[in-house]
Amino acid sequence: MTTLITGGSKCGKSRFGERILDLYSGQKIYIATMQPFGEEAHMAIERHRRQRQGRGFTTMEVYRDLVSAELPDNCGVLLECLGNLCANEMFSTGKMSGAADRIMDGIKHVAEHAEELVIITNQVSSDGIDYPEGTAEYIAVLSEINRRIAVLADCVIECVYGIPVMMKGELPC
Amino acid sequence: MILITGGAYQGKRKAAEDIFGEGVWTDCSSCGFDEVYKCGRIYGYHRLIKRLMEAGISPDEFTERLCRENGGAIVVMDEIGCGIVPIDKEERRWREAVGRCGCMIADHSERVMRVVCGISADIK
Repeated sequence: MTTLITGGSKCGKSRFGERILDLYSGQKIYIATMQPFGEEAHMAIERHRRQRQGRGFTTMEVYRDLVSAELPDNCGVLLECLGNLCANEMFSTGKMSGAADRIMDGIKHVAEHAEELVIITNQVSSDGIDYPEGTAEYIAVLSEINRRIAVLADCVIECVYGIPVMMKGELPC
Repeated sequence: MILITGGAYQGKRKAAEDIFGEGVWTDCSSCGFDEVYKCGRIYGYHRLIKRLMEAGISPDEFTERLCRENGGAIVVMDEIGCGIVPIDKEERRWREAVGRCGCMIADHSERVMRVVCGISADIK
């Protein structure tokens, strides 16, 4: 099953994703996409690490090129998060065009291996600000990926201050 | 506790008054910090979080105490996290604190409503 969890900043998306994977008894992999640059990134990574402690995840760092990630068959995957993966794929590969297709190929690749896949993404398009070109392109690409994954996903959840709001499918836990 | 959230100018207070009747709101853009622990209706709590941070008070600890001591309150606060991560560090810290405190209030609330275009939906 594939679940897409979206929502704003610090609204309990990963906590909810972890809860879904708590029900999965096989091998669990956490795909981390945030590059550890700067103090805030380190703090965020540390906070998420503490939250995952004791939940049986093996961490795999994948900053870009998700399609090449080596995954075992029949595993549970928590992919966190598309916002970072999208930024890395667009801005640190030197190949901005085709980023959405590359990420979708990566998602399909992960979905082929994962029995239970939870993807965390972000809502970034609702602050009403017109951004310069690069950022505007990022908002467009991330939103496109979200829409494309939502088509494939069995379940789409929006987290509102920790409350799951079902957009597609039924609440998995 | 009851939480009413949604974007700015969606009619959150009106939605609350339609259901709970008219009442006096404590406006978080100007009220005294301690008032919030005692009053019945709290408006614009996301703004209070900014003011607390500017005053060097932990919004997480303040919100914990609010949930503990004012469990009967109706809290109106905007959803502010659905945009691009701000460049300014203080803006980022505020946005994240609003997310964390919003989760805390939602967790303590027996009812959570989200208002879009004046229409409220019970999400908890």
